Amino acid sequence: MGADPDEELVRRIGAGDPAAVQAMVARKLPRILALAARMLGDAAEAEDVAQETFVRIWRHASGWRQGHARFDTWIHRVALNLCYDRLRRRREWTMDELPEVADEAPLPDAMPGDEERRVGQALLRIAPRQREAIVLVYYQELSNIEAAGAMQVSVDALESLLARGRRSLQAMLAGDGDD
Amino acid sequence: MAEKPLEGPMDAGRFAALADAYGGALHRWPAAEQATAMLFADTDEGRAILRRAEWLDAMLDRHRVETPSPALHRAIVARAATEVRQERRRRFWWLGFGLAGVGLAGAVAGLALVTVVAPNAPSDHYVMDANATSFGDAGPDADQAEEDL
Repeated sequence: MGADPDEELVRRIGAGDPAAVQAMVARKLPRILALAARMLGDAAEAEDVAQETFVRIWRHASGWRQGHARFDTWIHRVALNLCYDRLRRRREWTMDELPEVADEAPLPDAMPGDEERRVGQALLRIAPRQREAIVLVYYQELSNIEAAGAMQVSVDALESLLARGRRSLQAMLAGDGDD
Repeated sequence: MAEKPLEGPMDAGRFAALADAYGGALHRWPAAEQATAMLFADTDEGRAILRRAEWLDAMLDRHRVETPSPALHRAIVARAATEVRQERRRRFWWLGFGLAGVGLAGAVAGLALVTVVAPNAPSDHYVMDANATSFGDAGPDADQAEEDL
């Protein structure tokens, strides 16, 4: 693992540098908000998760030491844990009880301009761990090793989650546009 | 942890498995397999596999999320000053407790060392009383024991 590109910024935050705080928010807030929005499908809850994630960043900045994970991977893990807290509260399910099998029934055909909402619905209908894998690798553009690290699974398990998730999405979204 | 580049050509099965998992854009594929995947992507079979994966990629790209509002940005920045200051204060106090603990532990260790090295040092002012003998204290109980013999 090479040098952590965020390490210097985190150190400056820990030392109380206000410019570093601004830079960190500008750098990470869009990523964390996007992650939470896609995991939860709710803009207000995503904002709450983003705020809570940053509170943890501020609290840990003065003691941050790079271990096995990069800072970016660590904040993804923090944000994902906060998302799962909300998903559990929302559905009153424990982690193990979250469904592993998605409802793959095709979604209704989209009206023009409505496909974005349709994709959002499909993402929410696949199993949360599959959604997590797709969000990390596809949207957040984490490498396979970083995503597997954030999810605390092997790369093989990550690839299995990705493939199953994409197959489910394909089944739900396939319509006139499918080849 | 860097991945070691794989040697040898990629077969259609592995190429399709990677496309199933990572989609049609090779930059998302495992770094160690990108070079061999690019060679296979130039074949008819490779192009067909990528075309299928790219359909879902195009759908996923339609899902956009809102950019953070200035109000959210401001709220997060405003919270930082308080949280960082409190955390530093907490660390300072824990450091203080830690140093005090180390000092206390040192004092206890020193006392223990003195006890082990110089146990029960006799007093210079020990006064032998009437019952004391060179064999120990022969007090009233000792007398009684002798009478009982």
